[in-house]
Amino acid sequence: MTVLFPIPAEPRHFSILEELLFAALAAVSAYGFWRRFGPILNRILQSKKDADFHFFPIGGRVRDFVWEVVFQAKVIRERPLVGVAHALVFWAFCAFALVTLNHCATVFGIGFLDPAGRVGRWYFYFAGIFAVACAAGIAGLFVRRFLVQPKWLGELSWQSGLIALLIFVLMVTYLAAFFVADGSGAVRALWWAHMLTLLVFLPLIPHTKHLHLMLSPFTVFLSRGAFSRIPPLIGDEDFGLVAGKDLTRLVSLQAYSCVECGRCMEHCPANNTGKQLNPKEIVLGLRGYLNEYGPTSEEPLLGKYNAQEAVFQCTTCGACEFQCPVGIEHLPVLIGLRRGAVNTGAWEDDHGAKLFLALERGSNALGISPDERDKFIEKNSLPIFDGTQEYCLWLGCMGSYDPKGREIVLALVRVMRFLGVSFGVLRKERCSGDPVRRLGNDLVFQQLAEANLEALTQNKVKKIVSICPHCVRTIQEDWKAFGTPPEVEHHSEFLARFGDQLPSVKNQETPDQKKIAFHDPCYLGRYRNVYDEPRKVAALAGELVEAPRSRERSFCCGAGGGLSFLGEETGERVSHVRAAELAGTGAGIVGTACPFCNTMFRDALAERGEGAPELLDIAQLAARGLQKDGKG
Amino acid sequence: MKIIVAIKQVPDRDAPVRIAAGSKWIEERELQFAMNEPDAYALEEALELKEKHGGEVIVISAGPERVGTTIREALAKGADRAIHIVCEDLEARDALGVARLLAAAIKQENPDLVLTGLQSEDLGLGQTGVILAELLAMPHSTLILHVEKIDSGIKVKRELEEGWFQSIEMPLPAVLTMQSGGNKLRYATLMGIKRAKTKETRLVAAGDLGAGAASAVVLERIALPRKEKSTQILPGSPKDAAAALVEKLKTEARVL
Repeated sequence: MTVLFPIPAEPRHFSILEELLFAALAAVSAYGFWRRFGPILNRILQSKKDADFHFFPIGGRVRDFVWEVVFQAKVIRERPLVGVAHALVFWAFCAFALVTLNHCATVFGIGFLDPAGRVGRWYFYFAGIFAVACAAGIAGLFVRRFLVQPKWLGELSWQSGLIALLIFVLMVTYLAAFFVADGSGAVRALWWAHMLTLLVFLPLIPHTKHLHLMLSPFTVFLSRGAFSRIPPLIGDEDFGLVAGKDLTRLVSLQAYSCVECGRCMEHCPANNTGKQLNPKEIVLGLRGYLNEYGPTSEEPLLGKYNAQEAVFQCTTCGACEFQCPVGIEHLPVLIGLRRGAVNTGAWEDDHGAKLFLALERGSNALGISPDERDKFIEKNSLPIFDGTQEYCLWLGCMGSYDPKGREIVLALVRVMRFLGVSFGVLRKERCSGDPVRRLGNDLVFQQLAEANLEALTQNKVKKIVSICPHCVRTIQEDWKAFGTPPEVEHHSEFLARFGDQLPSVKNQETPDQKKIAFHDPCYLGRYRNVYDEPRKVAALAGELVEAPRSRERSFCCGAGGGLSFLGEETGERVSHVRAAELAGTGAGIVGTACPFCNTMFRDALAERGEGAPELLDIAQLAARGLQKDGKG
Repeated sequence: MKIIVAIKQVPDRDAPVRIAAGSKWIEERELQFAMNEPDAYALEEALELKEKHGGEVIVISAGPERVGTTIREALAKGADRAIHIVCEDLEARDALGVARLLAAAIKQENPDLVLTGLQSEDLGLGQTGVILAELLAMPHSTLILHVEKIDSGIKVKRELEEGWFQSIEMPLPAVLTMQSGGNKLRYATLMGIKRAKTKETRLVAAGDLGAGAASAVVLERIALPRKEKSTQILPGSPKDAAAALVEKLKTEARVL
């Protein structure tokens, strides 16, 4: 063995001078590192404590850490080739931990890994394999960044090039030691080359995005614990993220963890349609703010580093937060910035004011008289919920007042009647508050949540089924701040449970059966992790095709975040981009599970003219089977 | 500038109206209430004047305890303090009686400008503001959309018929009744509501104001309008039928 495989040569003996030189250089390097890292750590620790952070239960944290950091699962899954290259570099760094320690120890004569001994030798081979993989990985990443130049990575950065070079040199100097004769001058030279490279690398870490090496394992571990978890406002002076002093430790930690990979930007519907909003720049803007003003400043956050206009272009689709490999939670930040603008009256927008005034005085976000909802209920003989039925069918603003929303409700009602499930609708409903919650108006949201919770208690509602993922999310999660909401589920979950009892059209002879492209709503997919149930229901009416961006990568319809109530958008229309993608699958039907998606695509598909796919909610697809069955 | 805004709390526009027993008033028990919309525009104009020229905006409203929520909303939107004339029988008073209450409280404040909506959304009399001006012995102007401060007092933009407007220069102090739609209403903010908690609302009992309670006008009875459906088929050629239709729309339906 010792004859066939080379062993890495290590310098055996260092002079006192060399020991002192190394110690001095190491001290300088460590000082250089701390000089930059210390203040950053300080800024994070000086930030306000997070009011709703709970360290326990720890199981989820450990699981996410192991999955996302140790296994690099998210890094690899969302960008496979690049992700593997990065994973190799990361795993190499981990494997090299002992090598590096040993290298430092040998200069002082206390090396603990003997390359000739069994343990030492196997360990060095093990690290050697990773060194090869790492060198290949970092070379590949270098090529991508400097030759392919994907726009997600932003402008070319010489720091990245330097870091890539240093890593490459570290690996090469390690591997070269396998091929030099023991005792020769080259061995010592290689040792010094390797250590000097390391000492140069160390202080560079906090100066670049490579700070994520230190921070991101903590960032992933210390996340808020749930997707789009919006913190509560504490006390009478808390209005959201207004100034530096409102930034919490988690936000500051996340701002410094950004690795600038641009995955958030790549999947952002606003950024993809020519708008100013760039989730990466939002996070880096906070970093810039913290570097200049610090975490106790009164200077407004929306000013030099982040623009109010950009913040209000967000549909809260969550693609950014979902994609982030280092655990940055963009949604609480964006909504926090909106809160800061809206709760203080700094946001002046005609449509926004109209929405807030409509909900201050009235019952629904559309500003329509509730008589219209009463008429709809009466005309269609919908049963009124009186506490005896099993389900309360929550219509929501769209289901109550929007023509398409009403069609969806009536289709669902037909199916529920067919299934023999008892249900009723509330005599009076107020908006769940989703648009104002996402726009950051806590005053109106609190009023709506409290009024609704009281009404539901009075009406003895135990279970809600709703056609709108926004209502489902808001009722189940956001109302929790003001009371205990009843059980609530989306109609896709409800219908999927009864899937076997619903007749499928596929068993019938229909030669002109259209394929169905199902569009995953943001608030059902990424927010609620429900992807299969709506497909199970849609499949009752035909064969499914997947859009290029589907499931957790589904591209937003553009209505969320309260945006469907605001004015015209700049750039390309998000709904049109997505409609084109869905139509491009060749499907004859676009299937939706959200009345907002439905409304957005109605216009977008109509504009495509003849030959555009039909637009149907999954409730309508399920009801189709009833029609042909003759029982509906 | 010291500006007083007189605000009325009225039943919500979408509220289902039911006549109370006795047919003297509507059943209030299940109603939601809100700020009278023209008064909201009056408040908005007052706040804009304060933002431009400094001074104080005081909100005054008469009515039972529930009026407190509307007063708080006005404070949340930016008014500095409020006067609540506590009165349990507002609906039994006529416009003169209400104006007397307001005038008695307002006189003590010595304001530069008094703003109020041109009419209320429930009774729609359009009189209270005008009577108030007389009682305060101040000049007044009605249906105002915009107020501008000038050296000699104020210049106001007044709405006339058929899309015409009138521009008037007036001295201060003065009373103006405001039309809706002149400016954009601001929304109530969380910050506003929190600050409102620290602002003063002075309670005054209606009886303490020494305003005579006897009404000149007594509301005898209120009733819901009768809704009837009737269908007329117009005979003849399309030309004749069209002519007949126009005649009916002019003289019977009175929409042309």
